[in-house]
Amino acid sequence: MTSSFKQMAVEDFRLTSEPYYLPIADEVQLFETAYDQHIPVLLKGPTGCGKTRFVEYMSWRLHGHLNRSGNEGVPLITVACHEDLTASDLVGRYLLEGEETRWIDGPITRAVKVGAICYLDEIVEARKDTTVLIHPLTDYRRLLPIDKRGELLEAAEGFLLVLSYNPGYQSALKDLKHSTRQRFIAIEFNYPPRDQETEIIRIEAGCSVEIAGELAKLAEKVRNLREHGLAEGVSTRLLVYAGKLIANGISPRRACQTAVVWGLTDDSEVQQSIEEVVTSIFPE
Amino acid sequence: MSAADTLADQYAAALAQRGVVLRDDFIEGARALEDVLDPADLERWASVAADLAAQSLRSWEAAQEFFKASPQVATVLPFELLMRWARVAEHLCESSPLIAAAYIRATPAALEQIPPDPDFDIGIQGEFLTEQTISKTDLDRWAEAGERLHQGNWKSIALSVLFFELSPKLLASLSMEQIDDLIDVLVILAERSYQLAQTCLEAAPDLFAALDFNDREPFLQFAAALSRASWADTRLYFERGPDLVVRIEAEQRGAFLTLASRVVQSSGRQGFPHFMETANALGMIPPSEHAALLGLAGTLARRSPVAAMAFLRSAPIVLQRITADQLAQWVEPGSRLLFDDGNIEGADAYFQLQSTRAEQTLTSLSARVELQAIHGLLRMYAKALTGASIAIRSSEDLVEKGIGWVTESMATTEGTAIFLPPFVGVYPEQQSNFQCYKVFTTHQTGRIEFGSFGYRYGIEGAYAPVSVTEREAALAPRERDALTEMERYYDLFPQRTLIASLFTIAEDTRVDAQVSREYGGIRVWLRRLQSREADRRPDVMDQGLRNAFVENLLRASLGRRDAIRWPAPLMPTLETALSALAVVEQPGATVEDAAEVAAALYDIASILPNTRRNYDDEEWEQPPADMGSEGQMPSGMGQDQREMPEGEGDEEFEAPQQPEFRGDFKPELVQLLSRLRDQQAGDDGEGMSLSREQVMDMLEKSSEVSLSEQAQGEVAASMGAFLTNLEKEAQAAAQAQKKKQQQQDGEGDADDGEENNADLPNEVTWSYYDEWDFRASDYRPRWCRVGERLGDEGTLEYYQDTLQRHHGLVVETRRQFELMRPESFRRIKKLEDGEELDLDRAIEFIVDKRAGVGPLAQIYWRRNKVERDVAVAFLMDMSASTDEEVEKPRVNERPDGNFTGDPRNYFQWLAERRSRLIAEAPKRIVDLEKESLVLIVEALEAIGDSYGIYGFSGYGRDNVEYHVIKDLGEKFGDKVRRRIDKIQPIRSTRMGPAIRHTIAKLEEYDAKVKILILVSDGRPQDHGYGRDRTEKEYAVHDTHQALVEAKRAGIMPFLITVDKEGHDYMKEMCSDVGYEVVDDIEQLPRRLTSLYKVIAAD
Ligand SMILES: Nc1ncnc2c1ncn2[C@@H]1O[C@H](COP(=O)(O)OP(=O)(O)OP(=O)(O)O)[C@@H](O)[C@H]1O
Ligand SMILES: [Mg+2]
Repeated sequence: MTSSFKQMAVEDFRLTSEPYYLPIADEVQLFETAYDQHIPVLLKGPTGCGKTRFVEYMSWRLHGHLNRSGNEGVPLITVACHEDLTASDLVGRYLLEGEETRWIDGPITRAVKVGAICYLDEIVEARKDTTVLIHPLTDYRRLLPIDKRGELLEAAEGFLLVLSYNPGYQSALKDLKHSTRQRFIAIEFNYPPRDQETEIIRIEAGCSVEIAGELAKLAEKVRNLREHGLAEGVSTRLLVYAGKLIANGISPRRACQTAVVWGLTDDSEVQQSIEEVVTSIFPE
Repeated sequence: MSAADTLADQYAAALAQRGVVLRDDFIEGARALEDVLDPADLERWASVAADLAAQSLRSWEAAQEFFKASPQVATVLPFELLMRWARVAEHLCESSPLIAAAYIRATPAALEQIPPDPDFDIGIQGEFLTEQTISKTDLDRWAEAGERLHQGNWKSIALSVLFFELSPKLLASLSMEQIDDLIDVLVILAERSYQLAQTCLEAAPDLFAALDFNDREPFLQFAAALSRASWADTRLYFERGPDLVVRIEAEQRGAFLTLASRVVQSSGRQGFPHFMETANALGMIPPSEHAALLGLAGTLARRSPVAAMAFLRSAPIVLQRITADQLAQWVEPGSRLLFDDGNIEGADAYFQLQSTRAEQTLTSLSARVELQAIHGLLRMYAKALTGASIAIRSSEDLVEKGIGWVTESMATTEGTAIFLPPFVGVYPEQQSNFQCYKVFTTHQTGRIEFGSFGYRYGIEGAYAPVSVTEREAALAPRERDALTEMERYYDLFPQRTLIASLFTIAEDTRVDAQVSREYGGIRVWLRRLQSREADRRPDVMDQGLRNAFVENLLRASLGRRDAIRWPAPLMPTLETALSALAVVEQPGATVEDAAEVAAALYDIASILPNTRRNYDDEEWEQPPADMGSEGQMPSGMGQDQREMPEGEGDEEFEAPQQPEFRGDFKPELVQLLSRLRDQQAGDDGEGMSLSREQVMDMLEKSSEVSLSEQAQGEVAASMGAFLTNLEKEAQAAAQAQKKKQQQQDGEGDADDGEENNADLPNEVTWSYYDEWDFRASDYRPRWCRVGERLGDEGTLEYYQDTLQRHHGLVVETRRQFELMRPESFRRIKKLEDGEELDLDRAIEFIVDKRAGVGPLAQIYWRRNKVERDVAVAFLMDMSASTDEEVEKPRVNERPDGNFTGDPRNYFQWLAERRSRLIAEAPKRIVDLEKESLVLIVEALEAIGDSYGIYGFSGYGRDNVEYHVIKDLGEKFGDKVRRRIDKIQPIRSTRMGPAIRHTIAKLEEYDAKVKILILVSDGRPQDHGYGRDRTEKEYAVHDTHQALVEAKRAGIMPFLITVDKEGHDYMKEMCSDVGYEVVDDIEQLPRRLTSLYKVIAAD
């Protein structure tokens, strides 16, 4: 019997085909240069605007830089940060096995060892003490101290630390330390302009240009409501969802209702105004 | 000697009374009677008459009248009755000759009014009398009625006399029964005031004569009820009643008055005002509806007449929103309250429109959509469409501003706000009316989104090359630079109204086309409204040719080419024009395109004579459907001037009426306004500021300024006023902008912020809250108005003094609170998974395992962040009662007065104590509240919890004052210290709304734990906080409900009162809410802090 899923160690994961990414500005070039120069990168931008996709795309694209074989990318290790993420979650820890303790590497350690792109998603969510850990990794030394084992790891050639950060819901409590922030170059992401977003939706969702265009228009209108009852504008991701629903036979109004309206807010008045925008754009 | 003389001699003695000689009068009467009566009867008459004269000292007065009246009476009454009449008179005379005299005097005229008695025995008297024979009983009753007014004093005699004097008139419109009823009323009134009774009686004859026959009885019925329940109002009723009653449909008056009588019986003094209001209310409703209304009211009245009346009173308001057919549906929930639940109070509130349920039912039934209800929604919608912050306002507001817009029922915009009619009720379904609003709004946002106000002179459009600029060369050089781009454009055309109308049409066409293209979802409704407007246009064949031309273009712009009618010979001209108009319908057309198109249309229109009836009706044709639908800028004028008809009497061109959803379009004014705004805000880019003269000059020639009709007379004067308004408007906008700017700038440094607003006036912001009516078990919607303002500031001294005086207590409290400050991390052990291995536990585990015990592998630990995230709002009672001095027969020193502390502080303690004993003025409750605040502020600053301090007071539901001493987000500082100094007793205690406002504040504030602490000195109390001054339950229930609302919102309420009687009502008010009665008021500061520690611990 063969199982239907594949299991592998994080560092073994490679992209084997090119992910779709539509460059919006000069971010590809910036990232490539940073990679070559070992400059850590901070990706700033609202949710669902393509940061993760961008990193995946870059990891694919960068294979040539390391003289690796042409059909797989640089390994990419992604860690979703959360409130309780601790330093040992990242670096590694001892586990008890039988009567012995056994050390296992955390994701960052693995990335350092194999020379992967280590992508810490939503870094501000993690505790402040965690972020300090990455400091020696991000200056010229590129070292990762593993205190518990008394070791010091030097990063392999292909290693790059990439953080993502959504300034949208930053509160005074959850802001990046300056000492952290100043170790990265920041590439700013935003929702793509209408035409490009149309293209992304069309390709990702497999819907018609017309529908994609209307969805992008809707997005533009809804994003006008930011700071007016809406914390975040609608993400490209949600638009792609809506596009997929429509491409598969759901009526546009209904698709937008489930994918856009309810996805954004619970405030009924805001919901209603978004719905009115939806019904203005899409006929019954 | 005649029989009369003989008789006179016979009764000479009787006829000579106290020097008055009645003989002549007697003879005269008797002579007249000789013809009517036979001698025997005459003799009897004489005897009776003489008796009357002799009856008493002043009975001669009655006798005299008797002699005079008898001949007349005798012709009407048979002799038996005449005698009976005489006996009645005699009887009356016993009590008062004056009354008897009046009675007798009035009789002949009264007899004409009293109906004949069918039961009377005809046989004896002969047939000729039957018609005029009067009921004996009536005559008696009439006399009895008058007699009932007589109470033995002279005022009552006067009243009774008056009654008889007026009787002939009264009897003309009232039956005997009704007279009796009237007397009943008068008797009751007379007990209170003869004056009042007399006025009413005087009013009665005309009043009843004016009333319809059928209304008289119920009118009296109500009068009777009123005189019993609220006698003083009777006069007003007699004065105004008839006018009020006629407002009601004739058939229904009886039912209404009967209902009103029942209400008066049950609601006493309120009865009459209610009656007046209700009658007035019914007057506002078409009489044809009255029957249905009174039918419904009649049903309600079976259980509650008050509710029935309230229903009628609310009817005009209700009928504004729903149709008469729906009325029964609206009544339904209310009558269920009444009949099924037996909740009379609730039903009363329902029908008075003082319950949320009533409002909700109304809303759900009403097809009409009110702007107020969807205002926020549309604002956000407009914001989404345009990306600009656009205010949504009622068009009434714009008209009020007096800056050139005058029509209330239309939509329009002046560039920063969209004005919409206050309600739309065109269609019978709510959804459709809402769609109207959407089309209105989308067209107006379209003007903003698609740049209707952004015309720039000399800029190329997307389709039309610039040609208008060529016209400038042909004109006289400008005297001054144009103030706006629009002015420069309009100045190119001699006929300003014409170019403005054409530009409006072209631009609206463009906007509608863009809207249709961009917003496919409202295309259907846009078409529907366009079509509806096209069907309501004035007759085109009746207009001057040029006007007809423009009117047709407007129809085309509404997408209804089929509605066009145009003289066949001139069809080529129209075709050229329609093709030109179609240019702006193409995708991406700009406002500059519209301007070019308008210019081309202008050239065509201006050679058309504006004369009527150049063509026969048959010549006016509907053009082919696709004529000129292809966009094409004209190369010439369509047709040669020579082909134009020559007509008599060229009329002035009049701008066509705008369709409602498009409304006024005033780009020139909007551009001016926006320039004035920039100028006021101090960033006029062009570096040239507009002088008043320049602006006046521009306005005078502008075709966009509509003045209200009265103002039109004196153009110059009203222009000045107009300009002032315009400037005011621009100023307000500029200020708002500046303020926003400041806020944004000031965000970074809160400290500077303090100084910045120092000179801002203390503004009041109003909020509305429902109030709980426990009887109706429903909310009264938007019942209370809370005005929030910053607390006044006093000096810093107070705060510092207090700190010093309570130094010991403050230090101690601070320390205790600092201890509560949480550690930011806590280590949690014994976990199966965690951050780190716990070595001790791991060893233990292995040992156990080896020993075969095999416990769970709980060998990890992790650190958990503990964040204290508490926000607390203190709500302080600032009612007048806190002004009371606290009694202080203080024998014992307070605990903190005894020295127990560190010996090193002994001297300090001593000094403190001394100063306290010397300087302490009598304290008031409010002083203790303030001291508590000082202490709690110190404590909270130590622990780091967020807190707000608010004071409340006020008078009546419209004016609940809410003073912000420290807002939740505000930093503690000198301002707050100074405000605490100024806390002082003001007026009443309406707790409910104050609590609700505080809830709203806490809800906006982000914190895990939210607490509301209310400090008061007594029960809730305010003007109108309950049905009358003595009722206390209402206030207690409302406060309780507000506390429940707090809990629902996840806020923990707590009440502290210093009212010693507090225990009784607190229990009811705070069921399942924490409270404490602080018995020893002086302990308040101490208790407050220690209670807080308990409440705010986890
Ligand atoms: N430039 C782009 N090219 C291709 N696809 C894009 C692009 N931008 C966004 N997308 C689409 O948007 C989706 C969401 O993007 P992604 O998951 O990268 O967002 P993200 O910025 O990482 O969001 P989050 O902050 O929530 O993690 C992608 O799956 C992709 O379909
Ligand atoms: Mg992501």
